[in-house]
Amino acid sequence: MAQWGRRLNKQSSAAAAVALTQPPVKKTRGGVRPSRELIIVAAVVVVAVLALPWMHPGYRLLSFAVTTCLTAIVLYGMAVPFGQAGIMSLGYAGLMGFGAYTAAILSRDLGMNMWQAMPFSALVAALFAGLFGLPSLRISGHHFAITTWVMCELLRITLVNGGKFTGAATGLDLPPTGKAFGLDMDKLANAYLLVAAFMLLSMLATYLIANSRYGRTLRSIRENEQLARSIGVNTDLHKLIAFMVSGVFAGIAGDLQAYSFRHISPDLYGGAVSMYFALMVMLGGPRTLFGPLTGALIVTFLPEVMRIDPIDSRIAYGVALIAVIMLLPGGIIAVTERGYQWLKGAARRARRGVSPPDVDSSPA
Amino acid sequence: METFIQELVNSLSVASVIILMGIGVTLIFGLTGIINFAHGEFLMIGGIGVWVLVSNGMGYIPALLISVAFVAVLGFLLERGLFQFTLPHPNNGFMASMGLSIVLQHIVIRIWNSFQKSIPEPLPGAWQIGEIRFIKMRVIVVLITAVVVAITFLTISRSRYGLALRASLADRQTAALMGIPIGRYITAIFTYGSAIAGLGGALTIALFPITPFVGSEMIMLGFAVSLIAGLGNVAGVVGAGLILGLVQGLSGAYGTPEWTTAYTYGLLIVILIFRPQGLFGGTMGPAIE
Repeated sequence: MAQWGRRLNKQSSAAAAVALTQPPVKKTRGGVRPSRELIIVAAVVVVAVLALPWMHPGYRLLSFAVTTCLTAIVLYGMAVPFGQAGIMSLGYAGLMGFGAYTAAILSRDLGMNMWQAMPFSALVAALFAGLFGLPSLRISGHHFAITTWVMCELLRITLVNGGKFTGAATGLDLPPTGKAFGLDMDKLANAYLLVAAFMLLSMLATYLIANSRYGRTLRSIRENEQLARSIGVNTDLHKLIAFMVSGVFAGIAGDLQAYSFRHISPDLYGGAVSMYFALMVMLGGPRTLFGPLTGALIVTFLPEVMRIDPIDSRIAYGVALIAVIMLLPGGIIAVTERGYQWLKGAARRARRGVSPPDVDSSPA
Repeated sequence: METFIQELVNSLSVASVIILMGIGVTLIFGLTGIINFAHGEFLMIGGIGVWVLVSNGMGYIPALLISVAFVAVLGFLLERGLFQFTLPHPNNGFMASMGLSIVLQHIVIRIWNSFQKSIPEPLPGAWQIGEIRFIKMRVIVVLITAVVVAITFLTISRSRYGLALRASLADRQTAALMGIPIGRYITAIFTYGSAIAGLGGALTIALFPITPFVGSEMIMLGFAVSLIAGLGNVAGVVGAGLILGLVQGLSGAYGTPEWTTAYTYGLLIVILIFRPQGLFGGTMGPAIE
């Protein structure tokens, strides 16, 4: 699997080392070209995600799959500022809420449908993501994380006290989605396919961002903000842009969520939910392509498939999270990737009969 | 006017609980660099512990002592078993503590349930001075808090241990070279902070009913007072706690109770952005990174 999102010096030093014997590495504008393994795994994931409705899942399972995909869209958005630029924010449930409430209010007051509301949801969430990100220009680390958590809670309190406009504590109802692409979106299987398609798109978008020049700029902020600024990277601007990009993901997820659930309430968008989002990303690994999806699957989907009591699954989740943070920094997928690379190296050495270990152990 | 003074007196007891929470956070976050999101759950467990013991027929005071001791032991074990390993990477500690908060909260919900829990008032009645009624239990909560604050403040600012603590905050390596057992100090501070949170919970349940979700609300108030005051500043926590307690009490009585928390959070954001070192000056946490 590709080590995308890693430090870049590895690639360049490797290029320097082989320059004598091989033609120079093709320029990929700051990214690493997808390896064969990445393409295979990605293809398997795409097929598995899209084929789910034909595997006769029950209604319950499919509706949890919808929730999982919605969560994964937000998590892929988070992976941009968190995984690439290294800034943790705890406000993403709130941003999703901006998207969902924008969709609901536009539908109620202006009669817009899901597609018409989507750009507005994305825009509103992106603007507020920029606002949530503003304190990051002055404070960092935990102080910033706490600030975003507080902002998210402020949104929830405002929604609860918003009276008729926001539907107060009971929330708002939405009309059915209707038809799209000739498919009846009120059938759960079709609604799932729509959400899953958006999830795959967000996965692709995150991959493209991380492997672009822009991804490299963000990683330079993560690795050494002062140095990045000294070589002319406008770190303040790029941090805000990274937040706004992730806000677009959250806004679209909110719009989709509002129309999938057809009822939204402030409790869906509080600080506690934000915290779960952050922890899911941590669990899967924010810098890996499949990390956010894995985090969402483990937390939202797996307990339902295995029919674990929700309280038990929360406890198990907390324990698993602590274990991952303490023992597998970088998340489950990052460690899996490293293990796979090691196995591959070991197999190659065994084939060649070479003994000196050349294990890639550079920290992620 | 009488009602105003009455409300002022009542807000003091709310402020007391917030101050107890804030002292723990400010000591642990400010002096050791551990950001413990589960600190609020310690308060919740302190309260639930008293509820369990009292509803099984124990008196309030022994229940309080046992509960506080239990939370202290819990804090000690968690510091030794978990947080000491996160000291070089405070961010990991922050994440792990969020996981811990989920675990503790749901263990309590699993053993009992998520409903509101309350105990009969341990000391019913009120003292009447002029027109103002002092509810006895509230006065006692304020007095206990005052004693805890005084002990903590004097220990940190006047004793040898406090000096050693502040030295290890300023420069961990040099302090260690001077023979200060940093690791043990961190364990002690963590345990002490946890015990105070447990005490806060045990006192809270004497005043109001609590739910297993009270922790996440209280931890934000704890972060709020300690960050508004300036990390590590015990006296500042008292000031900030009084401000927040008054805002909570008075907005409940006169203004818009549904926006109370929003005022606190708004103030926290403004202060964090414009005065990251806090209103009364403090540290930005120990210099580790």
